[in-house]
Parts: sequence; structure tokens; C-alpha cells
Amino acid sequence: MSEGTESAGERKTATVWDNFLRISMREAGVAIALVIIVLFFSATAPYFATPENFLKIFVQIAINTVLAAGMTFVILTGGIDLSVGSVLALCTVVGATIMVREDLSPWMSIPLALLACMATGAACGAINGWVCEKWKLPSFIVTLGMLNVASGLARVVSDNSTITGLPQPFVDFGNQIYFGVLPSIFLIAIIVILIGWFILRFTVFGRFVFAIGTNEEAVRLSGHNPRIFKIAVFTISGLTAGIAAMVFLLRLNVGSPIAGIGYELNAIAAVIIGGTSLSGGKGSIIGTLVGACILQVLATGLQLLGAEDNVKPIVIGTVIVLAVVLDTYRNRYLRKLEAR
Amino acid sequence: MTTDPHEVAPVLEADAAARHNQDAGPILRLQGVGKRFPGVVALRNVSFDIQRGEGHVLLGENGAGKSTLINLLGGLFPPDEGSIWFNGAPYSPASPLEAFSKGIRVVHQELNLLSNLTVAENLLFEHLPSRRGLVNYREMNRRAAELLAEVGLDISPSTVVSRLGVAQMQLIEIAKALAHESKLLVLDEPTATLTSKEVDRLFEILHRLKERKVTTLYISHRLQEIYEVGDRVTVLRDGQHVTTEPLKGLAIPDIVRLMVGRTVTDQGVFREDIKPTGEALAVEGLRLTETSPPIDFSVRNGEIVGIAGLVGSGRTEAVRAIFGADPKASGTIRVNGRPVAIASPKEAVAAGICLMTEDRKQQGLLLEMSCAENITITDLKRLSRKGLLDRAMENAASERLVAGLRVKTPTIFQKVGTFSGGNQQKVVIAKWLYRGSSVLICDEPTRGIDVGAKVEIYELMGQLAAEGKGILVVSSDLPELMSICHRILVFSNGRLAGEVPRAEFDQNRILSLAYEEYGRVRGN
Amino acid sequence: MTSFSSDGRSLSGVSRRRLLLAGAAGSLVLVSGVTPVFAEAKKPKVGLVMKSLANEFFKQMQAGAEKYAAENADKFDFKAVGMKDERDFAAQVDAVENFVTQKYDIIVVAPADSKAMVTPLAKAVKAGVAVINIDVELDQEAKKKAGIDLAFFGPDNREGALLAGTALAKDLGEGGKVVILEGNPEADNAQQRKKGFDDAVAAGKLQLLDSKTAHWETEEANTLMTNFLTKYNDIQGVMAANDSMALGVVKALDSAGLSGKIKVVGFDNIPAVQPLIKDGKMLATVEQYGAQMAAMGIEYGLRQMAGETFTGWVKTDIKLITAADL
Repeated sequence: MSEGTESAGERKTATVWDNFLRISMREAGVAIALVIIVLFFSATAPYFATPENFLKIFVQIAINTVLAAGMTFVILTGGIDLSVGSVLALCTVVGATIMVREDLSPWMSIPLALLACMATGAACGAINGWVCEKWKLPSFIVTLGMLNVASGLARVVSDNSTITGLPQPFVDFGNQIYFGVLPSIFLIAIIVILIGWFILRFTVFGRFVFAIGTNEEAVRLSGHNPRIFKIAVFTISGLTAGIAAMVFLLRLNVGSPIAGIGYELNAIAAVIIGGTSLSGGKGSIIGTLVGACILQVLATGLQLLGAEDNVKPIVIGTVIVLAVVLDTYRNRYLRKLEAR
Repeated sequence: MTTDPHEVAPVLEADAAARHNQDAGPILRLQGVGKRFPGVVALRNVSFDIQRGEGHVLLGENGAGKSTLINLLGGLFPPDEGSIWFNGAPYSPASPLEAFSKGIRVVHQELNLLSNLTVAENLLFEHLPSRRGLVNYREMNRRAAELLAEVGLDISPSTVVSRLGVAQMQLIEIAKALAHESKLLVLDEPTATLTSKEVDRLFEILHRLKERKVTTLYISHRLQEIYEVGDRVTVLRDGQHVTTEPLKGLAIPDIVRLMVGRTVTDQGVFREDIKPTGEALAVEGLRLTETSPPIDFSVRNGEIVGIAGLVGSGRTEAVRAIFGADPKASGTIRVNGRPVAIASPKEAVAAGICLMTEDRKQQGLLLEMSCAENITITDLKRLSRKGLLDRAMENAASERLVAGLRVKTPTIFQKVGTFSGGNQQKVVIAKWLYRGSSVLICDEPTRGIDVGAKVEIYELMGQLAAEGKGILVVSSDLPELMSICHRILVFSNGRLAGEVPRAEFDQNRILSLAYEEYGRVRGN
Repeated sequence: MTSFSSDGRSLSGVSRRRLLLAGAAGSLVLVSGVTPVFAEAKKPKVGLVMKSLANEFFKQMQAGAEKYAAENADKFDFKAVGMKDERDFAAQVDAVENFVTQKYDIIVVAPADSKAMVTPLAKAVKAGVAVINIDVELDQEAKKKAGIDLAFFGPDNREGALLAGTALAKDLGEGGKVVILEGNPEADNAQQRKKGFDDAVAAGKLQLLDSKTAHWETEEANTLMTNFLTKYNDIQGVMAANDSMALGVVKALDSAGLSGKIKVVGFDNIPAVQPLIKDGKMLATVEQYGAQMAAMGIEYGLRQMAGETFTGWVKTDIKLITAADL
């Protein structure tokens, strides 16, 4: 009898351990890669393992994290959004233009600018989605078009100049650090990630995002209209570009038509490193956050290490691919764990 | 590889002769082969031989391990334990290409054609005739035409594959296997989508191959036809080897008993007790295109109506148009007496119609998602409040359906991609039961499903009919339709050629209706 | 031209004083290559934040700074950082922040954006870093708002463009028909150069046919010039806001068989245009001594640390380069 209970107990601990491994492998995923990279730089790069440096990295990843959060939705449905960088630029000039108006008090202009940023971004995203679905075009092409349109609009709105002179309360908020560890703009990024995680995990909408990415035709034949959801994910991506624009304004205190150049590729890289499949249906937004961290930690760590400018992109490029390779091994191991 | 086809034949003949002279040991030997997958043991200690030149039939219910065995032979993955010997040497291919070059050719159930390329390119893809890296299209099309003639396909070698029907693609897969003569040809349910004429043609080809001493391993759920091609049969059940013995002397009921381990009949699945009433679905003047003939029919509550016809006769196209999956030119559809405007599946589902598509994997299921998620996708509103999912409710509903339909799965969280065909089909039924549709349209509901599961599905249909649902079944398996339906509608070349009530069911009559329009077209 | 040799000598005194300061602050970790090296001496650390290294002009600037650093390796430690894209000023902000984290003593910066860079540089100043602004002047108003007063060490772009434009005007005479190829419309130096060209057009009574941006790019300038040639058949002169664009212009003229007939002036004096000027395919360019500018920035930084203060605009040299100079 006692033998029986003992072995049952052992089995139980084994399952608990397996479960722990499974959950940590699934949810943490590339976080392991991040930990390795952080440890590496902590050991080798001077000033890397300092509170100031980590605070600074938190601030530096915020913009890309917010963009990548929206991008995760689009990529999960099997699409891509190349326009986020220039939509961000457009939103920064729209937001800054409102905030520098002398006739508005900061308490009027700041919320108004926030709303305008989000509305502008969401509108660009909605147009992306609507055009894709209306004419059944690949999102690659449509958002490439929007990349140029938004960039041009940003130049028109700003008259090719950088807009400065944001209200002081806004600037102060951007410099705020809560509890000595939580910069305000990083807090915004974390909130965006948490909301995204909640939507994907707990809502009907989130379920459809995964289902459409897995098999859009099956969703359609199950009696739903995938188009609405696809337009919605592009709108979300545009909305987060608008929020990222606010983060940009908080961080750099200027609206600029040349902001955000190349940001779309960084956002996509963060999503992919985070384990989301480019073909859709698989992935997580927490992974995206980790992916964004990996990119910035690498960039900062390499500079602190004193690496040559020309070496940096080589290392970062290699790590992007390595992270994804590592992910395939992780998936294989995960499948083996599940087989037990 | 030489590019001249005239040189190929003598070489192969010499090869065949050499093979004949070798000792008559088995061409394939499996010893204690085992294979595990997440959550299931697919094969356990399987040992049997296949003799040179024989027609060997592999049988088993879905999930018995047939597909796993084929994939081992095809080089998709290695066994976890045991060994395989091929042609007297240990056999452990690292890839499908290696399996193929060693002489084993697997024609999979899922078609592996490159749909944007032409028929000729597909047929000769591995060894395109070329000169200095440039494809010799003339030569390629000539050889492709020869191969097409051999499988009796009357199409141009330059046709793009995506424009072909499923049956034609299947024949191209077989022609492809012929293009590279193999020592062992593995056919996984080759006749599942073929009409009887095409099946005859296939058997002719197989007989010819047998004369050339090519060994075949043949998998099929149609037990009647295995006698045509098989010398010996191996039966698997639950991943284990049951028997390998000569087919002669084994009757179908014996084989079924071996497969399922119990006695099953498909007699009595027709529910005499159900008396159809009212009108569940009515279709009036349905035209798929402006010029196509109008289609009119209705299905009563509690009635099972079959749709027979050749592949490409318009039966699948018609049901897809009713469901709104494809656009229609005109026509009225009534559900329970009320006319409904159906422009997309969304309206159809809202009106209470559901469609279980012919192609489960591509159109029916979310293979990478869990069983529960697949079931509830048809109605997420029901288990959500203010857009938030109630997972407990979802799991409870799924558990209930999985238990009720006897879906074999360790948990409802298993990905349906890992399920066998029969279990996948049950999940498709479950998702529509969950939705509570009143009209069920099933397109080939039992394709690729084993005998035991087939009967379960027939019984389920009877039960649903008894609950007052109207059921429309499209099938290529005429005996199946005749055993479960109240009426059979026969499609021929895009037209509804006729309707046969149960009292007048007669295979010949239905077949002649199915061919009617084709005869007329040729006659003109 | 600025001479460094005399000023360089006075630096040794500065460094010694700095040694004492740094010694009191505790030991500093120095960086060389990818492995940290613990140095025995405590020298000031100088960081150079550049724009795009794909641009010939900034490459020269960095090379000049590195050469200067190598010659004075005993006086300070040096590290340069460039951007992938010169418009990506957020990356420049990151670089400045990283230098602050690493407790650099001097940051010499060629701002990618005259306004956007003010906030992060103000933070650096408040952290006790000596910030030296070179190449492009930070926005006056933004500086005032951020509460910093930084001197600017750099060339007068408007003046330089006026030099080049005037050379062209002299060559063509009054009424000469010209086109202008502008740099990035939002870039400050592009705006300044455009103004200088416009000044030259007005002063030389030239006729301006068209003025468009080719975003500093050779290929885009080539296309734009080709289009100009199609549109106007009487162009006599071209003013390009940098030499990369001038290269594209000359290639377009070559293709049209017009090189030498239509006069071209550029800006920056990159090595690639020198043979063109010698061959008469280009009339002139403007040297702004990029190689010395960063080195000079470092020197001023060291002097500022030593207690000197600079304000306003410390103009660096510019010079018109024609065939006669080569």
C-alpha cells in the first residue's frame, strides 16, 4: 500500500515539474534567450548592470514595444503592417501641433492631442484594413502604400519641420519615474502589453484573431465574417502606432515627419523573435515584449561593450535569426514534453 | 538519370529480371516497429513481411496506425523502436526523397501536387527533361502525355493543376508514381475520390504493374475492392498487428471483425421509425451561373436526402452555393418555410443551415487549435459575456459533445491536427451540433473514415433526423447513400437529373441518371 | 584652417588636472574593442555621436577624429558612434544616453535634428557632461527652453552655399538659368544651403528654373536631373546641396552628352568629386574641413573641462574648391 502511495506521489511531483517546464517553456520561451543575453552583457559590458542603465533600457524599448504590440495582432491573423513607422511620424506631428497651440491650456491640449494621435493612427489602420479586405489585396502592398502616404501627410502637416515646445506638464510626465524603477513611458508600454494580452487571451475577439490566422476559410465557413476582424486588427495596429507616437513625444519632446523611419522592421523583428509565426495563428504578446527587450538590450549592450558601429548590425541580425532558430528547438522540446 | 525514355524501359526490365533472380525473400520486413506521438502510441511492436511482387492490403480503422506506418516507409519520420528491412538491407530513410530513391513510392491521401504548376511539370518534377539547365518543354509534355494516357486521363499536359478536380489530381498522383518506376508502390486510399469508372482504370494499371513484378501496398476503406488488388492482407488495430494472411477465404464480415474487434453491420442504420414532416429546407430555381440549369428540391424535417453524382457533376458546387460559401447567380432558399437571403455563410448559419465541407483539413478545422476551440468556434457568443470568454462553460460544452460523439482524445485541449480522420470528422459534427443547426448539409461525411466510425456517423445522422433536423448528404459512396437516405437526388453534369425515392432505390437506375447528361452531351 | 598643434600642447595641463579629479572619483573602467580593459591611468573619456556613416562627409569627420584621438591617446579615451540612417534621431538619443550611462566626460555631437536633440543633450549637461555641438547648430529657442547655453562649433552652411553659388553666377553671368537640388527638406543644413543658393541667385541675378529635393542621394539626384533636362532645354547651371547629389547630376549630364557644358557646383568636397573638378565636369565645391571639425570639437571639449567657457557660434573654416586648388 505504502509503496503505491509513494510512487503515486512521485508521479505527481514529476507531473508538477513537467507542468512547470511546459508552462515556462511555452510562456517564457525566448525569455531564456533574453536572460542569457542580459547575463552576458552584465559580465562583459561595463556599466551594463547598473540601475541607471536598466532604467534607460526600459525607456528605450517603450516605443518599439507599443508598436510591436499592435503588430502582433496583425501578424497573428497572417497579415503584416509596414506602415506603423510613418503612421507614428504622422501622429507625432498631429499631436505636437495640437500641444504647441498657444490658445489651449495644457489641460485641454494634452488630452486633445492624445485623442487626436489615437484617432489618426486608428484611422490609418482602418483604411489599411478596409482597402485590404475590400479589394482582397495583400496587406504587404496596401501598408507599403500607407507607409508613403502617411509619411507625405506628416511632411504636409508639419511643413517639413520638427515641432518643439511641448507644454511643460507633458514633458515632466515623460521624465517621471515611479518608485525609482518605473519610468512613466515604460509604464504605458506595459499597460498596452497587458491590455493586448488580456484581449488575446480572454476575449471572443482574441479567439477569432488566432482562429483566422490558423484557417481563415474555416472561420468563414463556420458562419463568421473574417473581414471585420481583419479590419479590426489593422485598426488596432494603427491605434498602437498612435499611442507609440505619444510615447515618442513624451520621450523626445518633438514631433517630426522623419520620426519612425525603419520602426516597422524593428516591430516586426520583436514580434517574430517573440515567437509569433509570420504565417499567423501562433504566438503571444508577452513574447513580443521579450522580443523588444532582446533587440534593445543587444543594441545598448553592444554599444556599452564598445563594439564597432559596423559590427552591431551584424550581431543583431545574427541574433534575430538565432532567436528564431532557438524557438524551433523550443517547440520541438515542448512537443516532446506534451507527449509524456 | 537518362533523359531518353526509350532507354528507361530496357534498364528497368533488366532490373526486374535481376530482382526476379534474387532469392525470394520478402521485399519489406518490419520487426517490432513502434512509434509514439504526443498523447498516443501510434504503433506498438508491429512485425510482418511483404513478399516480392504481391499485392498487399493494409487495413485498420482510423487511428489504427496505418498512416503512421506509411509515413515511416515514406521517410517522413523514423520509428522509435524496431527495424525495417527493405530489399534485404536495413531501411532507414532520412527523407521522402531518400525513400523514393531507394525504390519506395508513397501516394498520399493528401495530395502533394504543386497546384500552380502544370500537369506535366508535376508529373516529371523530380527529373525534368532538360538541356544545359533549360527545361525541354516539348519532351516534357510528350512524356507527360504518355503517362496521362496510361492512367486514362484525357487532359492536356499543360493544364494547370489547380484547375483540376480532386479525382483527376488523384490520378495524376498515381501517374507520377508510374513516371518513376518503384519497387514498392504504397497507395493510401487511392479510390476515395474516384468514380467507379476511374477505379476500374486504376485497377487495370495496378494489374499491369503486378505483371511487371512491382509490389504494392494498398490501403482502402472500401472493402469490396480490395479483392481486386490484394493477395494478402495485414490488419492493424489500435497500433498493434492483428494478422497477416491470404485474402482468399476471408469474407468482408470476417475482415471487419478483425479490424474492429467486434461484429459491425451497416444494416439497420436506416431509421424506419422516423416520419418526415414539414419543410426544413427548400431550394427553388437555384442557378450557379446565369446560364446553368435551375435546381429545385426540398428536404423535410427528419428526412435524410442523399445527393449522388460523379465528382464534378455540380453536387458540391450546389451545396456550397446554398450555404453561401460560393456566390450563386439566382435562386430562393427557404428554411422552415421562411425565405432567407444568403450572401455568405454567416447568413446561412444564422438561418440554421450548416455545411460540413468535403475537405475537413483545409476548410473545416483549425488544425493547430484545440478540440474545444474547434467546437465552440461556431457560436462564441453563447459562452461569452460582454466579449469575455467563459472558459469553464466552453470546456463543459466541449466535454459533453466529445463524450456524446465518442471522440477519442486524451483531453479536449489536444490539437485536432493530431487526430485521425474519423475523430476529426466527429469534431466537425460536434461543432455544428454545438451551434444547434436545423439543416445539416454533409459533403462526403465519411470519406477516409473507417468502418466502425462510419457506422457511428450513420447512427448519429439517424438520431439527428429523429430530432427533426433536415439532413442533406453528398457522397460518392452509393451503397452508403442507399443505406441511410429517404430519397436520393442525382446530379449529372451540373443539372439535377432526377430523384429516386427509397422504395425505388436501385444502383443501376441511379448510375444511369448520373451519366445521363454526359451521354447526351457526347451524343450531340 | 585651424591649427591644432599649438592648442594641443596646452592640453597636457588640462589632462593632468583631470587626472586628479578622476582619481578622486574612483577607478574607471575603460573600453577597448570588445573586452574591457582596466587602465592604470584615469583619462577623460570622449564620445563622438555622428550622423550616418554611409555619408562620405561624416566618414571623413570620424576618420579625422580617430586620427586625432590616436595621436593623443595618452590624453583621453575616445569612442565614436554613428547611425544607420541619418534621419533616425531616436537612435542618436539612445547613443547620447548610453554615453551618459558610461560616465563619459565629453560628448561631441553632430545632431541629426536641431530640435529633437536638445532634450537629451540637456539631460547630459545636467549630468555633468561637457557637451560640444558641432556641424549643425541646435535650435536656439529649444536650447533656451531647456535651460542650456551651448556654443556651436561649425561651418556657416549658408555662407558656403553662397560661395559656391556665387562661383557659378560668375561663370554664367547675369541671366544664367539654373536649377537647385536640395537636401532633406527637414534638415537644418539643407535649409541653410538652400538659403545660401537663393542668396547667390539673387545677388548674381540668375534665373532659377526649378528647385527640388533629391534627399542627399546620388541615385535620386540622377533621376531628378534627368527629369529636369527633359523639362527644361536651356539649363546652364546646377547647384547641388551636397557632392553625393552632384555626382548623380554629373552622371546624368554625361549620359545626355552635356557634361562640361552645364556647370555644376556641389558642397562637402568629398574625394569622389575631385577628379570631376579637375576634368572640368564640375565647377566647384565647398570644403568645410569635416575631418578637422570633430577633432576640434574634442579639443574645445577638453578646454571647456579645463574651465574655459564658450558661447555663441564659433565658426569653422570653409573654402571654395575649384580646379585651381587641386
